[in-house]
Amino acid sequence: MNIIVNTMPVAFEAGDSVLVALQRAGLHPNRGGCLCAAGDCPHCLATVNGVAYVRTCQTLAQPGMIVESFPTDDYPHLPTNTQRGPTVSARNLHCDVVVIGMGESGQVAAAAATAAGKSVITLDDKVGQEVVGIYPELMVVARTSAGMLHIHAHDEVVVATGAAEIQPVAPGNHLRGIVTPRAAAHLAAKGVALGRVVVVESGDAVDLSASPTLNIIAHLKGQVLQFEGLDTLQAVVVLDENGHSQRIECDTAVVWLGLTPRDLLVRMAAGLKVRAVGDAAREADLPPCPDAGMVCSCSNVSAADLQRVWDQGFHEMELVKRATLVGTGPCQGVVCVPHMRSFLATRTAAADSSANPDIARLSKVQAPFTARPVVRQLTLGEVAAGAHHHATPRTGLDAEHRRLGAVMDRIGGWWRPWHYGNPLAEYWAVREAVSIGDVSTLGKIIVSGPDALAFLERLYPTKVSSIAVGRSRYVLILDERGYVMDDGLICKDSDTRYTLTFTSGGSSHAEMWLRDWAEGWNMDVRILNQTMSLGAINVTGPLATQLLQRAGLTQPYKFMQHGHASIADVPCRVYRLSFTGEVSYELHHPVDQSAKLWRTLMTLGADLGIRPHGLQTLLQLRLEKGHVIVGQDTDFDSTPRRIGMEWALRMDKADFLGKPAIERTNKTVLDKQLVGFEMPAPAPFEGANIMHEGEYVGYVTSSTYSPVLGKVVMLGWLKLVNGTLPSEVMIDGRPARRVDVPFYDKEGARAKA
Amino acid sequence: MPKLNYLPFTRIVATPAALDVTIWPTEALALRTAADEVLLLSSAPPTLVDPHAIVVPDSGFVGAWLPAEAVQAIFEQHCEWALPATRSVFVQGAVAGIAAKLWLEAERGLLIVPAAYGHDFAERTGLA
Ligand code: FES
Repeated sequence: MNIIVNTMPVAFEAGDSVLVALQRAGLHPNRGGCLCAAGDCPHCLATVNGVAYVRTCQTLAQPGMIVESFPTDDYPHLPTNTQRGPTVSARNLHCDVVVIGMGESGQVAAAAATAAGKSVITLDDKVGQEVVGIYPELMVVARTSAGMLHIHAHDEVVVATGAAEIQPVAPGNHLRGIVTPRAAAHLAAKGVALGRVVVVESGDAVDLSASPTLNIIAHLKGQVLQFEGLDTLQAVVVLDENGHSQRIECDTAVVWLGLTPRDLLVRMAAGLKVRAVGDAAREADLPPCPDAGMVCSCSNVSAADLQRVWDQGFHEMELVKRATLVGTGPCQGVVCVPHMRSFLATRTAAADSSANPDIARLSKVQAPFTARPVVRQLTLGEVAAGAHHHATPRTGLDAEHRRLGAVMDRIGGWWRPWHYGNPLAEYWAVREAVSIGDVSTLGKIIVSGPDALAFLERLYPTKVSSIAVGRSRYVLILDERGYVMDDGLICKDSDTRYTLTFTSGGSSHAEMWLRDWAEGWNMDVRILNQTMSLGAINVTGPLATQLLQRAGLTQPYKFMQHGHASIADVPCRVYRLSFTGEVSYELHHPVDQSAKLWRTLMTLGADLGIRPHGLQTLLQLRLEKGHVIVGQDTDFDSTPRRIGMEWALRMDKADFLGKPAIERTNKTVLDKQLVGFEMPAPAPFEGANIMHEGEYVGYVTSSTYSPVLGKVVMLGWLKLVNGTLPSEVMIDGRPARRVDVPFYDKEGARAKA
Repeated sequence: MPKLNYLPFTRIVATPAALDVTIWPTEALALRTAADEVLLLSSAPPTLVDPHAIVVPDSGFVGAWLPAEAVQAIFEQHCEWALPATRSVFVQGAVAGIAAKLWLEAERGLLIVPAAYGHDFAERTGLA
């Protein structure tokens, strides 16, 4: 069995890690550096099967696995292909206690929690459960070969991750052939030939007797002064316990400097119920102060770099980290932090603290810096596991639109058809024949109760009490500051019940708005939002009535009248109104019957020239009528006066929401207004500047070419110049004329026909 | 996996006090979605003491009855909150990033989402 290492096959045995396979073949995964074979250091990282920063000592070799070393002087390159990486799933689990690490202390902790009647989940990297972070609300995130685990602990998290061996810092510590005692034992057990081995220990007794295959030629107490070699270790220079320097030629140096707790997970969980046990809770050993050599190979920080930032005045762990990036790389400080602490402790002790008050307040041995998730390098897929982007709702006709080849887009918070391939034909179907459009996205809310009238009267600027049962009225919706927030209809169903409509974009806010005021004013009303429960189809065009009669409409509806009818055997609420400028009926119906109603209308209208129309056409039609779209044509400070719709206010009402603000702002001089413009084709883009005598006087909010009028029609904001609205302006560098709206069918005869 | 289907609910909005004292038809599944709202699966209409209650048929939700293990699997994969231990129980919250409701019995559960989000929910959970 082979893995492929830098394009060359390398044999491995069952159960080998990638690192073992490489070492057996005399290879190092990377440039070099001391190996720990325990997942603690950055020295075995490689790109495996296209994923960078994989710890090869923790990765089981598999046939055909592609292993690539990092470039010698660069970070691993990002993949050049644009293929989507694999989707990674997340699994959410819940328990009382999570125990991380199943060594002796972890087993004891798990047993104790179980005995106390707690539900316990254990995680162990030995079985491929690699914890990458602990997050607020006590969520432990772990990586496994089957995806990510998101474990929610109710009581506590116990960290029993043990301790890491401290790695040597000395000139030449980047060479290949340096290992920790555990790594030496592991590699020897796997049959890796390490050649002539020198063991150097700091004082404790390193026992490698369980590894009889190791060819130990020297075993010294002392400190490594230098590792010698080109790429690979050839000799080690040691200052022994007697103060003598020895140079010993060897192939492998095993260096023991003590242990440092694997406490990253604890250090990232301040304020959370997370505790360390066993070696993860031990005091860290302090290695000798590094005077030369690479301290942090992740971020290329040498002992000389530490000295330089110390001399510049960086004396605290957190500051040295920021100044050098030490501890911010793939090992997250496991290798470098013990040496940083030793360096700072040594320099602090040696400094004249009376002359350096900031040093005087530092403790001799500083605590390690705060850790942050994640402690392992993750793929974007792993980071995104379990996360979902915002879902855009679909109307009951969504599949129908797509079946008809509609160009769909997310508009007003919904998936909506923009057009069905021929917007001009859709336009003429409305103006000359009949067309249907999906308006299911409109907000639809019922208000019922003894206070319904009083509530709406106080809320809306129109005189609600003058609306008769079965009649509807267009209304502006204002906020407390008198600005236009939305618009819609009030439809009176009975003396105590009304149906309100809102724009598609405003509907999600509308229910909260109603509930908020109802509660604040202590109104006895019930409120039901039916926006997503009812589909709505707009049947519009001069032949709309004829089509609906074929479909079952028996009674004539006057303009702004509503009632119930069975259309195509679908129970419908029929609203006669018009946004397009032609005869229009909105059919509100149960959303599960949208497709049936739509298809029947399309069939019945085939000989009438029926076509569905998309939003592009609808926006064109409404602009010809000068209908404002709140949010597109209005701005955050649009008052009814500024948009020329004071006719929609009943200032003689005792009160309505925004009335005091309107009274106040009406006293100020009008400075700008939303007005209509026309000019020859082509249509300027929406947002185009409006100029007058070389000065900026406003901008276009809506713009379209009107096929029926043969010219461009626009709405736009126009500043008053010397108290009047300019009549002649320049838009897009061409002359345009201010005109009254609507542009089309000024008397509204077609809509009311 | 079962598919999501439109559910023939009756949607009721009434005063909380009225809903508190309503006796639901025996075979009915009455889900109290808010203090003032109930989603009712029942062939018989309820009797309410609130004369201004809004009682309307509502097909705005899709859902599926699933074996309890399937519900558990969906929650494990798509939901950060835990299923309650009690049965029968009604809960609401984000599942697969979508506002969902769940009626959970000992052996099965009814998972409910707004029909407008049914497509995305099915795609995310495999209930398509
Ligand atoms: S050798 Fe793999 S992490 Fe140290």
